[in-house]
Amino acid sequence: MDAALRALNRFGLGARPGERARLRDPRGWLKAQLEGGPPLVAPPAKGAPLAIRDAIRAYRQAGQANRIQQRSPQQTEPQQLRQERQVARRSLVEIVSAEATVSLEARVQSERPFVERLVAFWSNHLCISTAAKVLVVPLAGSYERDVIRPHVLGRFEDMVLASARHPAMLVYLDNFQSIGPNSRGAARRRGRGGRGLNENYARELLELHTLGVNGGYGQQDVEELAKILTGWTVTGLQDGAATFGFAFQNPLHEPGARSVLGARYSDGGVAQGEKVIRDLCRHPSTSRFVATKLVTHFVADDPPAPAIERVAQVFRNSEGDLRAVSTALVNLEEAWSPESKKFRTPQDWMVAALRALDVHEVGPMTVATMRQLRQPLWAPQAPKGFADSMQDWADPDALLNRAELARTLARRLRGNVDDPRTLLEAIDVPAADPLRALLADASIAATDRVALALAGPAFQWR
Amino acid sequence: MHRRTFVRNMCLGGLATFALPRVTFAQVKQAGRFVFVLLRGGFDGLAAVVPYGDPDYRALRGVMAFEDSDLVTLDDTFALAPGLAPFRELWEQQELVVLHAMAIPYRTRSHFDGQAILETGIDRPMGSADGWLNRLLQVMPGERSGIAIASGLPLSMTGPVEVRTWSPTQLGVVDDGYLDRLSVLYRSDRTLQGRFEAAIQQQATVGEELMAAQGARRDGVAPLMGATARILKQETGPNIAAIEFSGWDTHANQGLTGGALDRLLGQLAEGLVSFRTEMGSAWTNTTVVVMTEFGRTARPNGTRGTDHGTAGAGFLIGPKVARSTVFADWPGLSSAALFEGRDVKPTLDTRAVLKAAIAGTFDLTPAQADRVFPSSSAVPGAYDLMG
Repeated sequence: MDAALRALNRFGLGARPGERARLRDPRGWLKAQLEGGPPLVAPPAKGAPLAIRDAIRAYRQAGQANRIQQRSPQQTEPQQLRQERQVARRSLVEIVSAEATVSLEARVQSERPFVERLVAFWSNHLCISTAAKVLVVPLAGSYERDVIRPHVLGRFEDMVLASARHPAMLVYLDNFQSIGPNSRGAARRRGRGGRGLNENYARELLELHTLGVNGGYGQQDVEELAKILTGWTVTGLQDGAATFGFAFQNPLHEPGARSVLGARYSDGGVAQGEKVIRDLCRHPSTSRFVATKLVTHFVADDPPAPAIERVAQVFRNSEGDLRAVSTALVNLEEAWSPESKKFRTPQDWMVAALRALDVHEVGPMTVATMRQLRQPLWAPQAPKGFADSMQDWADPDALLNRAELARTLARRLRGNVDDPRTLLEAIDVPAADPLRALLADASIAATDRVALALAGPAFQWR
Repeated sequence: MHRRTFVRNMCLGGLATFALPRVTFAQVKQAGRFVFVLLRGGFDGLAAVVPYGDPDYRALRGVMAFEDSDLVTLDDTFALAPGLAPFRELWEQQELVVLHAMAIPYRTRSHFDGQAILETGIDRPMGSADGWLNRLLQVMPGERSGIAIASGLPLSMTGPVEVRTWSPTQLGVVDDGYLDRLSVLYRSDRTLQGRFEAAIQQQATVGEELMAAQGARRDGVAPLMGATARILKQETGPNIAAIEFSGWDTHANQGLTGGALDRLLGQLAEGLVSFRTEMGSAWTNTTVVVMTEFGRTARPNGTRGTDHGTAGAGFLIGPKVARSTVFADWPGLSSAALFEGRDVKPTLDTRAVLKAAIAGTFDLTPAQADRVFPSSSAVPGAYDLMG
């Protein structure tokens, strides 16, 4: 594969027509993308903070009305209440659909595709999931927009802290309901079937966001961290606050000094948590864990150890400066070696196909298709996010799904391609590959030839 | 994860091992069928198989204790959660072993580690990346093959023996010359070739009309279990299937009768019973095991849910079990009896059950079963469970 194609596919999201020919200095092109500000996007109208708040309130009110109704013996209009709840639920889904369109269009249109890849990578690393809780649904777009994008070229610890404070994460991993057992709030709630400590977020923060599962923490650290993070909750859900957002509520916070990974954290309210999160992000295990994931994502399923170490070192030396870390990825010789291959994840395959077909706008169908390809946007099955290896995605069934979808796309977008052979620009195929002959074979319908280019094995790799 | 080499044998219906040439086996069609159902997320054993007769149960579970009258009583100590009521039929037919206080051989509360241990069948993380079901395919005699009903190859099935995957195709079905031409293209890709051919073959085997006949929710438990049965019961069908369901990580509001978890349990039980019906006469040789990576905390957490714990429950189902029973060395629920003061104490190793299940289904010797679970010789198989 030539270096231009490697830059476009390996680090980017696939070539748009004409892009490969314009690209003179592949590494310089990638590094230039890292210059300048973060890749911010404007929220869709439905994703405005007040719109989200109102939709959530309507949904909760419909739910409460429903519960009250069920308790009363004379059920007057359960049908109507059910409908109200369905309508409220649909408006939550409309928010995430609008948000998903914005996010996917950014990927499909981007002139900085490497940066968009990084957005998707970090969004998956610190993932939330709309599949887990209804309340996450309207917040998922805001999460990527407000947590990931501003920090994707900034500092890792700022991104993790932003994620720790975002309602989507607080709800997804239950921290918003976690209450210190010895807090004033717990004392008040006792005897009322009150809530208490929930260690879900603390565990995933250690295992998935920072140190990694073998990063050297124990159950005691999980519990201590969970106690430190009590009181980190959301406002605007039950109280009358104007918007839905982060709040630290000291009455729910477990008082006292705590110890995590041998370090002592005196009780300073919200500052105690901020301090421990920054320390976790600076832990040597975190640099190795994050570097391993990045190198696995950009280089190979079997990440070469020296490459991991170089990236980890940059991560440590720069105190998690993600611009420097991303530059280090481009500088890895291993990333440019012809042997290393990565299988495109369903989302990356879909986006690359749309770019190759010169598509600029994506509709709701694209969002639905990602679900059919088993990688629905912002909806992984578990907090560890979507998998990233050939082994995980290249099962027989998936290849068939891509074959079928390629044909659907080709039928819909055939008009965007004058000559199917031009698609070879975006694909790494050797001179003798049968794809070249097939694309030139006028006895095959042009639609099928376009589909064959996208569904053939070469287009599955990056 | 290691990059693996797959060598595919295109003989009809059979997928041979990579390491051993086919001719070394007597080509006897293996009649046994085994299904490994993995509940990802750690399902709450105390909410599924309820120790209502344990003197500490009520105090420990508090607001999350079931009313006795809602439960399906099994014996003086244990009862099934209301959602599992469809299992009553299996119990009465002497086809249900209920497992409790069971855990993987390694103490972890991480989903990732726990599932890795359960799926690799070894006693520590990172020891081997191969799955135990793939080792079973290497060890068992006769014609055999495996299939994963999943959105990708699960760890339990990875290894040198090629395993098919299948999930309901949700996109339109294509036929004609397009797929033939695509097959030609895939022949030049050594990594993907076998996978694509397997897909084409699988599509032909199962048939598109299959899913057309299913209900609207194609990813529900019952439709997937029904499709699994149709694949397995074919004479040349696979012997071993891995299937998984998620949604069991109930940190909050897991509910009681009719609640969130109980509804999931209901779908599971209905799905398994419909699987049994769909298998028809092939059910005679079929065994199903249901397991999860860990149980959950014995006490409810502060959000009416439970956190990651240790020992939990599981099920061993099929006509080949000796008789219906609750198989548990019950440690009790007193504070002193809890593991680390918070979880049900493990007294049964998942591997003891799995070894018995596969030995009973495929007529394996204990030595063969031990090869499927390396370093498990100190944990004898619970062979008496199988008839």
